[in-house]
Amino acid sequence: MGVRFYKEPKLNNPILVACWPGIGNIGVIAVDILRRAMAAEEFGEIESWEFFYPRRVLIRNGELKDLEFPSNKFYFKKTGKRDVLFFIGEEQPADGAKVYAEGAKAYRMANLVIDVALKFGCRRVYTSGAAVAPIHHTARSRVWVVPNSEDLIGELKSYENTILMSDIEGRDGQGNITGLNGLLLGVAGKRGLEAICVMGEVPIYIHGFPIPYPKGSKSVLEVLSTALGIEVPMDEINALVQQSESEIDSVYERLPAEIKEQLDKLKYVTYAKPSEPEPITEEDKKRILQEIDRLFKKEPGGD
Amino acid sequence: MRESHSLRLFNKPKLESSALVVAWNQDVGKVGSIAVDYLNRKLESREFAEIEPEGFFPLGGVSVEDDVARFPQSKFYWCPEKSLVIFKSDIPRYEWYEFLNLVLDVAEKYCKVKEVYAVGGMVSAAAHTVPRMLLSVVNSTEMKRMLSHHELVSDMDYETQDDQRPTFSSFLIWAAKRRNIAGASLWVTIPFYLVAVEDQQSCKKLIEFFDRRLGLNVDFVDMDEEIAKQNKEIAQLRSKFPELDAYISKLEGNLSLTVEESEKLVREIEQLLKNRHLG
Repeated sequence: MGVRFYKEPKLNNPILVACWPGIGNIGVIAVDILRRAMAAEEFGEIESWEFFYPRRVLIRNGELKDLEFPSNKFYFKKTGKRDVLFFIGEEQPADGAKVYAEGAKAYRMANLVIDVALKFGCRRVYTSGAAVAPIHHTARSRVWVVPNSEDLIGELKSYENTILMSDIEGRDGQGNITGLNGLLLGVAGKRGLEAICVMGEVPIYIHGFPIPYPKGSKSVLEVLSTALGIEVPMDEINALVQQSESEIDSVYERLPAEIKEQLDKLKYVTYAKPSEPEPITEEDKKRILQEIDRLFKKEPGGD
Repeated sequence: MRESHSLRLFNKPKLESSALVVAWNQDVGKVGSIAVDYLNRKLESREFAEIEPEGFFPLGGVSVEDDVARFPQSKFYWCPEKSLVIFKSDIPRYEWYEFLNLVLDVAEKYCKVKEVYAVGGMVSAAAHTVPRMLLSVVNSTEMKRMLSHHELVSDMDYETQDDQRPTFSSFLIWAAKRRNIAGASLWVTIPFYLVAVEDQQSCKKLIEFFDRRLGLNVDFVDMDEEIAKQNKEIAQLRSKFPELDAYISKLEGNLSLTVEESEKLVREIEQLLKNRHLG
C-alpha cells in the first residue's frame, strides 16, 4: 500500500509544492502551471484505489482493460539550485458527500505525501488553496499566507501582495484551512518539516460556485515563483484570467441594479483596515448570494 | 487489513478449489440477489461468515425499503458438496477497496477460491418473449477462454460516461485480478417492464450458467412453474388489453415505444403482477 515510484531521482535539498483541488481550483491551477512551466517530470503516484471509488472503466471486447481512479502524482525538477518536487491530487479523499478530506483517510494521505518529501530530503513544503474574502472580482487577489512555525513569518512578510491572518480585521490571527491543503501543514510540522499554505483570495459572492477563479491562482503563482526563485511566463494564466473575468462580468451585468450596487461597494472595501464605505451586511450578503445563485443556474452548462 | 475486527467467522469451510458468486442487494431488478437466494435454498448452503457494517456503511439509523427497516448485510455462504461460495451483500458506502479485499481474503484464505463471479441485471428494451441474454465482462484473456464454451455475449465495448461511475462489480473483478484470481461480471437482460416485479426468467438464465459451469444439478421445477405462471398472466393481460398487446408486439418486432407507451406498459404490468403477489 502506498506510493509507486517509476524512478528515484537524486535531488538537492528539494522543496515540495503540494496541492489538492478546492474552492475556485485556485491552488491546483497555479501549481499545475508552475509544474508545466518548469517541465517537471512525473516520477511516482499514490495508489489511489485505497482512497477513492473508481471514476471510469474501460471494457474492450468483453475484457476489463482498465479501471481509472483520481490521480495523485508526484513530479520533480532539478534546477541546479534547490530542486523542486510537486504533488498534485486530482481529488480529495472524502467519505460520502463531503468535498474536503477529513478523518483517517485524509491523515493517511497527508502522511504518504510527507513520507515522499522526507524520502527525497525535503525540509520545506508549500501547499495552496483559496481564501474567501469580501473583495470585488475586478480587484487583484491578495495571498493569505499561513506558516506552521513562527520562524517563517518574517520571510513571508517580505513577499509582495501577501497578508497574514493577523492583518485581517476581526480575525486576530485566527482561522481555519479546510481539507488536505490545511492538514498537510499540521502533518508536516508534526514530522519536523516547515510548511506554508498560500491562499489566493476569491470574492465572497463567487466562492460557492463550481467555477475556477484564475485571478486568485495568478496571485498564488506570483508568490510561489518568488518563493522558489523561478521565473514563470504569465501568458497562460493571464489568458485564463481574462476569459474568467469576461464570463463573470457577463453574469454581473445581468444582476439587478440594487444587487450590483451592493456588490460595487466591495470595490472600495479594504477589509484589512477599517473600511469606508461600510461593507455589505450579512443580510445583504445572503440576498446577493441567492440572486447570483439564481443567475448561475440559468447559465447554460453552468456547473 | 482489519480482518479480525470486521469479519465474523462462524465456521471454516473445507473447500479445495471453489468458485465465489457475489450478488449485491442494490441490483437492477434484484436478479442477482434472487438468483443467489435460490441457489442457497436449493443447494442448502450454510452461512459461515459475515462482514460487520462498521466502517463500511453509514450507521446513523436504518433505511426503510418497501415498508421494512433494512440494515446493511454482508454474508458468506458455502455449499459443501458443490465447491461453491456465495457472498450476498449491500454495496458499501465507504472504504470500498478495503471491503473488497476483505471479501477476497475470505475467498482465498478459507475457501481456496479460483474464480470470482459478480452477478447483476441489465435493463433491456426487448420483449419478455425474447430469450434473455447473458453478457460477460472478464478480468483476463484466460478467463475469457475459460468461458468461451458458454453461451455468453462476450464482446462488449464500453467506457464510463462523464455522469456515471463504474459498477462495484467492475471494482471487484479488478481487485480480483490484482491477486491473479480469474473473474467475470455477468449481466442478464431484464425486459424494462419486468424490472420491478422479479423476472424469474432472467434469474433462471443466471442460475443456468452456474449450473453448467459448476455442475450444480439445480432443480428448476418451481422456478419453471413461476415463469410459466408469469407468462400466462402477461398473455391474459395482452388479450384483455389490445393496447398493451400492441406495445409488446411492437417490441417483439424490434420497434421502439414512445415514453408514454413505455410508462403505460410498465405501470400496467407492475400493477397486474404485484397484485398477484399480494393476492
